[in-house]
Amino acid sequence: MKPLRVTIGLSLAVLATLALGALHVPAPPDFFLLVVADMARGGAAVPAMLVALPAGLLEDTLLAPGRLLGLHAFSKILVGYLLATLGARTVVEKPMAVGGLLAGAVLVEAATLTFLVWVLKGDFLPPAPWLLLARAATTGLFGGLLYAASRVPWRQRRDARRRVRLN
Amino acid sequence: MAAPTLAERRPEIFLAVLLSLCLVALSLQVRRPGGRTAGEAWLLTAVSPFVDLVTAVRSGAHDVGTWAKSRRALRGENGALIAEVEALRGELLRLRDAEEDKGRLLELFGAQPSPPPGTFPARLIAVESSGPFHTALLDRGAGDGLQLDGVVLARGGLLGRVIALGPRTARVQLLSDNTAAVGVLLTHASRGGRIAVAKGDGQGGVSVEYVPTIEPVEPNDVLVSSGTDGLYPGGLPVGRVKSIRRNKTLFWEIQVSAAADPHRESIVFVLPPVRKSDVTSGPSVAERR
Repeated sequence: MKPLRVTIGLSLAVLATLALGALHVPAPPDFFLLVVADMARGGAAVPAMLVALPAGLLEDTLLAPGRLLGLHAFSKILVGYLLATLGARTVVEKPMAVGGLLAGAVLVEAATLTFLVWVLKGDFLPPAPWLLLARAATTGLFGGLLYAASRVPWRQRRDARRRVRLN
Repeated sequence: MAAPTLAERRPEIFLAVLLSLCLVALSLQVRRPGGRTAGEAWLLTAVSPFVDLVTAVRSGAHDVGTWAKSRRALRGENGALIAEVEALRGELLRLRDAEEDKGRLLELFGAQPSPPPGTFPARLIAVESSGPFHTALLDRGAGDGLQLDGVVLARGGLLGRVIALGPRTARVQLLSDNTAAVGVLLTHASRGGRIAVAKGDGQGGVSVEYVPTIEPVEPNDVLVSSGTDGLYPGGLPVGRVKSIRRNKTLFWEIQVSAAADPHRESIVFVLPPVRKSDVTSGPSVAERR
């Protein structure tokens, strides 16, 4: 089920990114990071990195077509490894904590990207702070909400409602 | 705590491989101001120590080659210079010899300003002493015009006469030879001259015989050839009185210091032999008295 889940997740991330890009949303959430974080949640680093590679390449293709292919792949692999390592050692249960972790991952990824560009191009070009914070916040918020939503026992509730109706 | 195994390190290895691949892909896309990609620049930076090493080795080998080549050239040049110095040294010696010969010739001409026709210069190439017999060898012979009994004259004075002739060499009987004799005029500044006979003593010296003890003789009295012996012309320096001793006979025992030393002469004049018609008669008894 995992490959299917990943494929669906990446497809939705592509669609969401394109949609928000078309709507000119100033600080859209990092949907690809959510897919990678979802994969790294169980603590498996290799699968997380294997998902992070196509996720980053897709993001590179979408956000910077014709430029540096592999930039986001690099940062996503690194973030995926870090999240998986963290997931293997701690248990993050609360949606708020998950949101904070995702926001932190966005910041780490931004720092990695800045460092990479500096190494490759020789130019130190940090992102605009407010924009970065906004992106971290939206990603954390969206990720936290998704996580909270994923923890709701939707099936049991539905079954309970069905039983109430039948009674 | 045991160190993690390779299998346990799998995620880190995987991370390193993936990150490296991404980095390589990125480095091949980024172009630096010089037109090179970042990957090329990194590669050049990575291999530059090796390139420097190769360049240094190559430069060192080139330097060694140049050094060996220049050393070979310098050795060749040094050999040529040594040969040239040797040649110049030989030339210098030859010129010195020539200069000395020139000086001797000039002195010879000074001693004999107008040598008679048939006079030849010759080089004295050997002096031989065999017991009482004293001879010398000249580098000219009959083929050069020398004649038997030719008078040999050195810078200092009379040296001897030619007693044997070869085509290219001649043997000279020196005055110091035991069998040599020459009529001399023993002269003194205040007393005039007296006829006597000078003979070789066979030991490298010359002595004068038959001078009565009643005749006054002093050291440094000069001896010149008298021309009365039919072998030597008159007037040639023979030597000086070195010592006088009275023995048990009626004659002085006079030792002479020869005017010419064959060991110090290298060039001599060979005068033609004395003609019998040129022989001068000695002073008469009346004159002597």
